[in-house]
Amino acid sequence: MLDPLQLASKIAASGLEAQSNRMRVVSENLANHESTGKTPGSNPYTRKTISFDTRLDDMLGVNLVKVDRIGIDKTPYPMDFAPSHPAADANGYVKHPNVNMLVELADMREANRSYEANLQVIKQARELISMTIDMLRAS
Amino acid sequence: MSSIHLFGLASQHNNWLSTRQTLLAGNIANINTPAYKALDLQPFDAVLESTKLQMTVSEQGHMAPDLTAATAATSDAEGELGWEVFHSGSNVSVEQELIKAGEVNRAYSLNTNVVKAFHRMLLASSKTGA
Repeated sequence: MLDPLQLASKIAASGLEAQSNRMRVVSENLANHESTGKTPGSNPYTRKTISFDTRLDDMLGVNLVKVDRIGIDKTPYPMDFAPSHPAADANGYVKHPNVNMLVELADMREANRSYEANLQVIKQARELISMTIDMLRAS
Repeated sequence: MSSIHLFGLASQHNNWLSTRQTLLAGNIANINTPAYKALDLQPFDAVLESTKLQMTVSEQGHMAPDLTAATAATSDAEGELGWEVFHSGSNVSVEQELIKAGEVNRAYSLNTNVVKAFHRMLLASSKTGA
């Protein structure tokens, strides 16, 4: 069993990892927000979603956060009339990825904010530890 | 020295504060976890109240101890609601958690400084006594 303050840092580190995974998914979505299919009528890039879950760590005895699963967004693809496009179907319509730039950017901001909060926790735990060590210092 | 419980009390309180910091870290890490409910500890005075020695009836003429006070102290502090409940069902608010972390920081600093001052005092008195 670790010291509670060290546990606090460990938990916050799991939070950091989860949020950075979320950031990765966001960047994947943003990078592919114009990726259409290659063959006529094929599906374009599908937006990915990420969800978290709290998981009890048996060794530490505390609840860490883990990435639950990376799923796909099932909203329909927006269609665009572009007969000359290589991915256009028989009627001349091209399917575009169902990525909404605004939603992705908002998600990125939220991930950022949560990441900062976790960093703050690590900082504070470190401060508490150094306060304890300071008691040893001869005054 | 036995009448001075300060060192024991300070270390107990710091222990409680560290555990609280761990819980707050868990809340903040799970800030975007669906359906996560924020956790917090019982207040420290309630913990102290509930861990004190209890009187018991050993003779016919003794008064029965007041049991209602003890049971009131053991109810958990989960009743305190979070500031907001998100669409995903989680009720962790960053602001609230960081305010609590600030409280922990302040109390911890107070404890360590009081212990330091007390230690200085004891040292001074033992030096003059020698």
